Amino acid sequence: MSTTPTPATPATHFGLKAKLILWMVFVGVVPLVVGLGMAFWQGSREIREVSGESFKALAMEAARKLDLLVAEEIAHTARIANDPAIIRELERRRDAPHDRNIENQATTDLEQGWAAGEPAAIKSIMENPLSAALQEHYTGIHSAPGQLQPQVVRASTKRLFLTDSHGTLVAAMGEKPDFRHDHTPWWQGAFHKAVGRLYIEDLRFDEKVNAYVFTISVPVMDSLRYEVVGVLHRVIDAKQFFSPSTHAIRFGKTGHVMLIDSNGIVISCPILPTGVSLSDRNLVPLVTPLQPDWVEASSDGHGGQSTSVIGFAPLPETSRATNGSIENGSWHTFVWQASDEIFAPIQHLFTWVTVFGAVAVALLASLGFAAAGRIVTPVRQLQQAAQAIGRSELRTPIEIRTGDELEDLADEFNRMNQQLNAAFAGLTDQVELKTQEVQVLQQSTDQILDAVPTPILLIDADEVVQYINRAARESFQIQQEPMSPVPLFDILSLDAAAQKQLRQEFHSGGSRSTLKDRPEPDAAPRDPLAPAADHRPLGGRSELHIGSRVYHYQWFRLPTRPGHQDSIGLVLRDTTDDSRLHDQLVQAEKTGSLGVLTAGIGHELNNPLFSIVGLGEAIEEEQSLERVKTYARDIVAHGRRMANVIRDFTGVTNRDALDQQVPVSLEEELDQALATVETAADMKGIAVQKNYAGNVCVLAQSDQLRQALANLMTNAVQAMKGTGTLTLTTGLSDRTGTATIADSGPGISKQHLSKIFDPFFTTKEQGEGSGLGLTVVRRIIRKFGGDVRIESTEGQGTTCIVTVPIVTAAPERTPCAPSATHSEP
Amino acid sequence: MRSIRYTFRTIAIALLIGWLWAGASVPFAKDAPGTAGIPPEKVADYLHAVLEADRTIYTTYIVNRMQGKGIVSATEHWEQDNALPLPAQFLQHSGRIVAESGSGIRYRLIGLWPIYQRNAPATEFERKALDTLRRQPERPITGLVTSGKKQYFQAIYPDRAVSTACVTCHNSHPLSPKQNFQLNEVMGGIAITIPLE
Repeated sequence: MSTTPTPATPATHFGLKAKLILWMVFVGVVPLVVGLGMAFWQGSREIREVSGESFKALAMEAARKLDLLVAEEIAHTARIANDPAIIRELERRRDAPHDRNIENQATTDLEQGWAAGEPAAIKSIMENPLSAALQEHYTGIHSAPGQLQPQVVRASTKRLFLTDSHGTLVAAMGEKPDFRHDHTPWWQGAFHKAVGRLYIEDLRFDEKVNAYVFTISVPVMDSLRYEVVGVLHRVIDAKQFFSPSTHAIRFGKTGHVMLIDSNGIVISCPILPTGVSLSDRNLVPLVTPLQPDWVEASSDGHGGQSTSVIGFAPLPETSRATNGSIENGSWHTFVWQASDEIFAPIQHLFTWVTVFGAVAVALLASLGFAAAGRIVTPVRQLQQAAQAIGRSELRTPIEIRTGDELEDLADEFNRMNQQLNAAFAGLTDQVELKTQEVQVLQQSTDQILDAVPTPILLIDADEVVQYINRAARESFQIQQEPMSPVPLFDILSLDAAAQKQLRQEFHSGGSRSTLKDRPEPDAAPRDPLAPAADHRPLGGRSELHIGSRVYHYQWFRLPTRPGHQDSIGLVLRDTTDDSRLHDQLVQAEKTGSLGVLTAGIGHELNNPLFSIVGLGEAIEEEQSLERVKTYARDIVAHGRRMANVIRDFTGVTNRDALDQQVPVSLEEELDQALATVETAADMKGIAVQKNYAGNVCVLAQSDQLRQALANLMTNAVQAMKGTGTLTLTTGLSDRTGTATIADSGPGISKQHLSKIFDPFFTTKEQGEGSGLGLTVVRRIIRKFGGDVRIESTEGQGTTCIVTVPIVTAAPERTPCAPSATHSEP
Repeated sequence: MRSIRYTFRTIAIALLIGWLWAGASVPFAKDAPGTAGIPPEKVADYLHAVLEADRTIYTTYIVNRMQGKGIVSATEHWEQDNALPLPAQFLQHSGRIVAESGSGIRYRLIGLWPIYQRNAPATEFERKALDTLRRQPERPITGLVTSGKKQYFQAIYPDRAVSTACVTCHNSHPLSPKQNFQLNEVMGGIAITIPLE
């Protein structure tokens, strides 16, 4: 009780407080983060869209501006192409007589001269009237005052030359062009099967000019505008031409406008050089649709890989003429600003919101700490109170005045404490009462056990003695009263074999079968005076020899409290004195029997002997011969009687064991036995009734069987005391013949019935019977393989049933051997 | 939307084939016994009738219906916008295709107040013809013109504002010099040029 888990207590407190703070911070942070994230996402999206739309608008505006610039240049060029003088000259060349040989020859000569740089040839082209006209137009002589080309535009024109309807150079200005152009795409595109078409060629690098150029090819139509008579080419340095327009448009640090063609080649850009392609080819299809729009691309085209917002728009009029038609190419403006710059405001905002968010979280944590403290303190108080209640140490009521559920809880605690105290008070009394009862019970048990004179030991499963009563203490000389646990065999000093047996019994739970070791009862009749050879010591199975004492012991199981192993009790009974007494008793019994026997024999023999002596004395003095003869007959009778007694006695012991058994007629033997009895006893008042089955032939010795039957008859006659009916019956069954001798005497009491076959047991007066009669009978009959039993009901007579085996092997039963009358011994 | 362009092309090619058939019939007619050649005035009349009919069908049954159903509209920058060409552009474009075919006969739209200068009258004859047609639009102005040593027959037919689309476009286009055209007014002319070899 006193060892409360103190280390866990502060951990719990800390945990609750930390949890509260964590939850508060969590509850604050999650919406903050979610809101911040959503605001950032939404802000980014809106900025992206706003920027995209702005870029689109800017791209459109720039496209219009550049388109106008190109359109103006085309218009300037077209004005030259519309010059009637030039048209006339070209019509003239067209209509010149077609003497092919002469003309071709002249043209070839001129071409060779031009290619070789002959001054005459160059002069004939560069300084002819058409070239002069070109020069005039270029310098702006024919232009209206308002239509004068800006110097920059003029300077960007690197070449201006005229070809006729065969692609042959007719007039040139500026850098020296090639002589024949009829195979160039731009000439073919502008001539267009003599129909004529504006042709703006995409950017290409011109080695002679040493710059990226584009060309505007304007067909010169005849005066009817019926067909093309020549083509006017203007070769313009792209960078020089467009840079004043594109480079001027800058916004922010990186925002700018650039011009690209549909292949992604940069025509003009403040950052990228003219003629390079966009760094990311995948960007080209995104930014070159024919409609102005904006996209969010994964790269910026300037080498950066960051997500970019790009606005774009095609140059509407110019694109129609690029490479002859809009299908063959188009020019587009491209408006871009570094995404870092675009998203800088939202990132600043994000940073600031993050900072403020962190401040808010810190504030939340500190406020949460304070709040948690306010919540946790009463809870801790309650917890301590609960601990105190658990130890029953809460004396003062809990004082929490928070005015909320905690206060209610504290009140409940106080109430509970009071109720618990009240309940515990009653419980304590009851426990004390019960304890006292238990103690009394234990004391009384101890006293009872101590009062028992038998040593009793209680042993637990580890062979340790838990309790010893006083008798045991005294027996085994154990001094101390509150004994400490001692092993069993320290108390019982036994030899190894006994220890082993005891331990086995102990571990088998003390449940030894006493029946198993009980000796089989002796089946064979035993001579009471014969030495008991197979008599085993009585305590062999459950006796212990400790010192000079002999103990009879017994195990018993003692149930204990649930969860504990049962202990086993050992009860020892000191049988040293008992066995001594028993031995003495047996000895006395034997001695007594011999005395009885001796007395009986003596008595039996003494009476006739005294008669014989008296008759002998009478014969000495008697003269009358008649009387002497009478006396002599009496002496013979007495002698015979003595001989019978002796025969009885000796016949019992050991005689004729090997005598041959012969078939004997049972009825005959009964008759002879009856005759023998009649000679000795008074049978005047006794009626003899014979129920013979007739000629029952059994296997026996004639004289012994006759003696047995005579004994039984004698008993019956004696029991009837002179009056009654003796019934003799014979019967025959499959294997045995039965002789039944029934009298109408008083019967035998139940207590005697079980003992009547015991030697020397008799109900007659001293000297009347030897007590051996029935013993002899049973012995004889059993020797023949038969049996004798006596049934009697007190007051209704006694029936002796003798069963003897019949002759089985002999086919003829009738010729039973006539009874061999043995001579008397 | 691309199909519209194909539709347009198909129509143009169909017209061309029709016209070629008509043109091819001229030499046959010539070869026929007892007949002189067809005068260029007749050829120009035939062609003009076909052009007028085609453009009317295009304007009435294609552009108006497409726009009316909101499927696709006719705009000036029809190539970029993936839309239908304006009826005037239809005529010009088919004229370009006819010219590119190399048959020699050509026609184009001209006007005194063109949005693009290339559609202004090229010669004094055309200018005068347009001027005359504004006052007397009943008959076409025909005549022989020369370019250098080449001779051509030219017939200029009056071209009226057949639909409101024509009028509104010309009256609102920033490049248009005249912005007060009326419906059914003669806005310009169709110049058909036939080379005389």
